[in-house]
Amino acid sequence: MKTIWEKLYKWIDERVDLADLVEFMGKKYVPIHRHSIWYYFGGVTLFLFLIQVVSGILLLMYYKGSEDLAFESIQFIMSKVQFGWLIRSIHSWAANLFILAAVIHMFSVYFTKAYRKPREITWLTGMFMLFLGMGFGFSGYLLPWNELAFFATKVGTDIAGAVPIVGKPIMVLLRGGEDVTGATLSRMFGFHVAIFPGIFAVLLGIHLVLVQRQGMSEPIGHSESGGDLKTMPFFPNFLLRDLLLWLIVLNVLAILAVLFPWELGVKADPFASAPAGIKPEWYFLFMFQSLKYIPAEVLYIEGEILGILLFGLAFALWTMVPFWDRKSNFGQENKVVTYVGLFVVAFVIALTILGWTA
Amino acid sequence: MSMNTRRIRAASIFALILFHPLVSFSQDQCRTCHESIEDPRALAFAADIHASNGISCADCHGGDRTKEDMEEGMSAGAGFRGVPVGDAISDVCASCHSDASKMVHVYKSTLPLDQVEALKASVHGQQSVSGRSRIAQCTSCHGAHGILPRSNRKSPVHPANVPTTCARCHSNAGYMTAYDPSMPVDQYQKYRSSVHGKLNQRGDSKVAECASCHGSHDILAAKDVRSKVYPINLPATCGSCHADAVYMRGYGIGTDQLKEYSKSVHGVALLQKHDIGAPACNDCHGNHGAVPPGVESISKVCGSCHALNADLFSKSPHKKAFDTRGLPECETCHGNHEVVRTTDQLLGVGKEAVCAWCHKDDTKSRGHIVAATMRQLADSLADAEDSAQRLLNDAEQKGMEVGEARFAARSIRQARLESRTKVHSFQESQFRDVVEKGLSAAKDVSAQAEEAIGEYHFRRWGLLIASFAITLLAVSLYLLIRRIESRQRAK
Repeated sequence: MKTIWEKLYKWIDERVDLADLVEFMGKKYVPIHRHSIWYYFGGVTLFLFLIQVVSGILLLMYYKGSEDLAFESIQFIMSKVQFGWLIRSIHSWAANLFILAAVIHMFSVYFTKAYRKPREITWLTGMFMLFLGMGFGFSGYLLPWNELAFFATKVGTDIAGAVPIVGKPIMVLLRGGEDVTGATLSRMFGFHVAIFPGIFAVLLGIHLVLVQRQGMSEPIGHSESGGDLKTMPFFPNFLLRDLLLWLIVLNVLAILAVLFPWELGVKADPFASAPAGIKPEWYFLFMFQSLKYIPAEVLYIEGEILGILLFGLAFALWTMVPFWDRKSNFGQENKVVTYVGLFVVAFVIALTILGWTA
Repeated sequence: MSMNTRRIRAASIFALILFHPLVSFSQDQCRTCHESIEDPRALAFAADIHASNGISCADCHGGDRTKEDMEEGMSAGAGFRGVPVGDAISDVCASCHSDASKMVHVYKSTLPLDQVEALKASVHGQQSVSGRSRIAQCTSCHGAHGILPRSNRKSPVHPANVPTTCARCHSNAGYMTAYDPSMPVDQYQKYRSSVHGKLNQRGDSKVAECASCHGSHDILAAKDVRSKVYPINLPATCGSCHADAVYMRGYGIGTDQLKEYSKSVHGVALLQKHDIGAPACNDCHGNHGAVPPGVESISKVCGSCHALNADLFSKSPHKKAFDTRGLPECETCHGNHEVVRTTDQLLGVGKEAVCAWCHKDDTKSRGHIVAATMRQLADSLADAEDSAQRLLNDAEQKGMEVGEARFAARSIRQARLESRTKVHSFQESQFRDVVEKGLSAAKDVSAQAEEAIGEYHFRRWGLLIASFAITLLAVSLYLLIRRIESRQRAK
């Protein structure tokens, strides 16, 4: 007697030939070593992204992306819509956890040199998704049209505007004009729910296909260290462990969303003076704080411009690491890359703390 | 030659030198000529304070006063500039009056040296409609050829004459329209009807005239924050005389009005909070027509702002009672200069209640009962508002969104404000209607706040259940993984 599940499987198998996929999954193994824990952060990032998609779509049913209605629509979501408060709080918390998980995932890939040949494209798509994730954060931050968001966007786009030559057009493009106005809100809304998700979906597709196609990267020297190479089947072992972690993350997310509901603040007033202590989101804080420490003028170059150029260069070098870290490509340990990474981690943490406590 | 003959000869030579036209350089030939033709300006100048200080026509008009020949004395070569016109008039005055070396060292004057500068910066220093000069020159008020010291009763700027001098322009509707069509031109008439104006007309030079309040050379528009009559500055301006016990001696009125006013709800609003909507002295007493409001007019004065209160009072049973006893209406309960912030404590029959001043003895009288009941109602509304606000604060502290309830809570405050007005009807039924409206609003707000607090607890319980369910699922999954892996190891 066949169960309903077996009947369903058979029904689908007859149409899309599931057997090949099951066979592929059955042959897929995940290496086990002391750095295996980092494999799970990719899955956690994906899970949080899916939560963002679902909660974002739910919010979209009530959110109104206009200067006059944005704040009020979120107020409505939080006070009148059944579980609207929960969806909004989850969306806000998951956004932050998503960036955190993505950053951990990125650094774990960097330190294990998993970006090396043949996974350069996986790294590049991952980095672009991280930048897009920050873009999601920046564009989404303005959508409630509250005081903090308004001025943080003003400061953020001002910094973008300071970039030589291309800065001004970028600033005007982001703002939809010279100043942060209702046009900026419409623009950010467009970026947040249409443009970024579209690009992100393509990058995520490529990234996941490559991960499945190429399998998990092993740390340098792991396969050459001799002894038996320990592995576990991707299905069901790794997938179930992934699911277990997802459940834990979901639980943490629920606790955060309920116990620390995301505040809405005060509606933005473009004519009001900026409140004291305006800060960007925590993941931009290290850059924001660094710019404060750079002197007003360094070698005839304006300090802020120099800072932006240096960060631009640093991000470019970081993104291109698979192409300049030749040693790792040949399977050799590159300690310089590790030290650079450690310095960057220490720098980012220290400046974030300084910015947070300033 | 005797001693006497010698003296007579010497005196004759001295007189010849002194009075001979060719050598008498000290004589003012301008005046000699102009007086001889009975020029009224020259005749008037004889009494001018400048003439008595040795200042000649030429000092203002240029030319050489020593020249007997008119053509020579009034030639361009001699620096003759004729009659100064427009701003040149004040510039001529300033050439001495702003110059310390002349005023202080030569004429030993104690006059301020910034008068012309102050005039230029004043409202009269603005361009006139002709666009060719400032509105007023020194001569506009002081005259030109017969200028007298301010202390001289004939001077147009003597305190007794200042109102007439100012009125020459300010009571001229045709002239004033060109500058400010909205500006009244009846200040002089009003002033003459005021206590100040009447005393001034009787020759009291201490009493306030135009310059006492507006300033003299430095007059600014009343809407200018620096003006002495700008609302925030006005109490101090009035107080400069009225708060000065020595100055006010003999007038028979108190000098504590400014002190009391400064502590009053009106004074605090105007002087501390800079709310220029709050009344200054002139809003109750009038400005140009300043008179103390009498018993019969005090409610009209207060009612010009507190219109509803005044209207309710005039229809209330108290109106007749107050009139019969000759009590001033508002002032009886609220005071005059020191009007304190009203609280519910003023109502009722308690220690601080003003109703008890009249209604305390007969506890069974209708007035006593109504006062006590109204106070009870006011207290119940205040308690209901406090309770609703506490619940709202509690809900907000719990992170709940209560913006709508917070907005609705304004109705309670509105009802309390309205009830404070309705007190003046002294009708229990009218007062009760307003209080009940507020109580109903408070009930709704409290219900909304309680609902929000209930929702907060529901969320906590919901989280507990959801978290438990997720944990249970995670544990089950963990056990499933272990079972699968132990099976795999067994294979």
